[in-house]
Amino acid sequence: MKKIKWFLLIGITVSILFSCLIIATTAEMTAEEIILKRDSNEYFDTAQMEAEMIIVSGGRKITKTMLILSDKRNALIEFTNPVDRGTKFLKREDDLWMFFPDAEEIIKISGHMLNQGMMGSDFSYQDVMEADKLTDLYDFEIIKEEEFEGRPCYVLEGIAREGVKVSYYRRISWVDKERFIGLKEELYTKSGRILKETKANVIEEIEGRWVPTNSVMENKLRKDTYTEFTITQIKFNLEIPEETFSLQNLR
Amino acid sequence: MITKKYFNIAILFMIFFILGSITISAKVDIGGEINASLVVILDNQENLSAYPQGSLDLELYIPPFDNNQIKSAVYLYPNPSTGQLDFMFKKLYLKHKFDKLHLTLGRQPISWSFGSMLNPVDFTLGSVVMDEETGSKYQDAIEAYVPLNWNSSVSLIAAFPEGSQDIKWGLRGRTMIEGYDLTLNYVREPEIDFMGTIIPASQRIGFTAKGDLGPIGAYGALGYYFKDNDNGNLAYLIGGDYSYFFEAGNNIYFQLEYLSMKKDNLSSILGPFFAGNVTNNLNENIGLILGMVNYEIDEFSQINLMAISSLNDGSVIIIPGYRNQLSNNLSLNLSTAIYFGKEDTLFGSNVSEGAQQKPKGMIEIGLTYSF
Repeated sequence: MKKIKWFLLIGITVSILFSCLIIATTAEMTAEEIILKRDSNEYFDTAQMEAEMIIVSGGRKITKTMLILSDKRNALIEFTNPVDRGTKFLKREDDLWMFFPDAEEIIKISGHMLNQGMMGSDFSYQDVMEADKLTDLYDFEIIKEEEFEGRPCYVLEGIAREGVKVSYYRRISWVDKERFIGLKEELYTKSGRILKETKANVIEEIEGRWVPTNSVMENKLRKDTYTEFTITQIKFNLEIPEETFSLQNLR
Repeated sequence: MITKKYFNIAILFMIFFILGSITISAKVDIGGEINASLVVILDNQENLSAYPQGSLDLELYIPPFDNNQIKSAVYLYPNPSTGQLDFMFKKLYLKHKFDKLHLTLGRQPISWSFGSMLNPVDFTLGSVVMDEETGSKYQDAIEAYVPLNWNSSVSLIAAFPEGSQDIKWGLRGRTMIEGYDLTLNYVREPEIDFMGTIIPASQRIGFTAKGDLGPIGAYGALGYYFKDNDNGNLAYLIGGDYSYFFEAGNNIYFQLEYLSMKKDNLSSILGPFFAGNVTNNLNENIGLILGMVNYEIDEFSQINLMAISSLNDGSVIIIPGYRNQLSNNLSLNLSTAIYFGKEDTLFGSNVSEGAQQKPKGMIEIGLTYSF
């Protein structure tokens, strides 16, 4: 009996120590480590997805569907809904090209248009096609820890690195402590004005990584408007031929 | 020489033969657009008249197979001169992508647009902003496209234009240097019989550039036009665009460009609608200024205002427009055109005898349904 008590005591002590060690390890994570874990979870070498974008304004709704192919630096989007069918966008690093299906012409889009809403949505072309890792663009620090919709989160503030071209000067991210995925993000101008807020509504584990398959982007400058983005199908790390992200492939 | 008469028939047979000899497992789909509108015209005598207008665009979507692509798009419309339903093939072509060459045979759109509203060095001249009316960019042609890398290519075109038994040739090179999209092109137009008027053979060499200058999009084109036994002349275009974001999140888009060219070449840029006025009391060189403002009211609606003015005589066309996407597939379009200018000016409503009459103004309101 004494032996059993002794083993129980050792067991409890080890468990407590082990739990403390885990808590200490996660608590000691730096902002950079958290964002790196988020980047490694959310960013991929290549991906192919089918997606749906629902633009809501007041009581009206418009749905657009698309196919997206992307790698670390480039993205190709083809719209498939009737109104926009065949319209394609190619983003190569900082350059954006558009294919108009009727006249089958390819036009280079001016840089200032990257910040416009993509096809009338609250997502800008830059939001959808941004391929850079957050750690390459922003310096982060942990500002607090709190729960967001029942999930414990790190709350991090990112300030754009000097000399780096970004759409939002400051961003505040709620990163899930267990799954290392952004659950909510607020995007600000340099003057401190909030521009947009994005929330991940549905998160699924696909091919071993957590993916926000339904998210909402709200333009905070406008009333009663948001865009819901749903990934209906996604495949990671496919072999995408080099010529996919080329002008010849837009034709 | 292949005559144009049999060109589309030959392409159609080739497409049917290929479709019959392969298995397309993927889904073939059909889509398009129905347009219905009411056009109200205010004529020179200040009388109002109105007529309905309708058209149907139909496109067959055949998935690519074995590096082949087939496209077929037809435009159906009531012909105002016959009163009968008429049609025009916009696309009826077969494309095969070889490793180093993409070959396209058949009726196809050939557009060398680079982002400007007017393009003095396009393959088929005719204002970009007015081309929807003429459909002149759809040509019976053979195109050989050679991709060199992701942003560079060379294409050679042999087209069979209406009113000519000769081939129209085009050669275009495209590349990107330091973020600028650059093209160099050459066109040889054959002699054309346009409603009994012989338009002599001509050639042109063109260069275009488009890129960013800080927050402004900038572009330009330079063209050299020449004919056999005639001195050549230059045309140039410069332009820019800019977006401004309001605090409420809306944005306004501006585009402004200036075109300078010899008046002999202007009719081909502006299209047949304005050709009658070009020969009137205008200087040898013509300067046109074009401006466009587009304001996004909300996610679904926008208003725009375009203006074209001849700097030589001060005549102007003002074209306001409004578009509202009412639902997923239905949109409302409103466009107007108001003409200002004295008699015989380039855009004035009163023109000399023999030229096409233009109204003082017009307004079109219509619905477009996409499927």
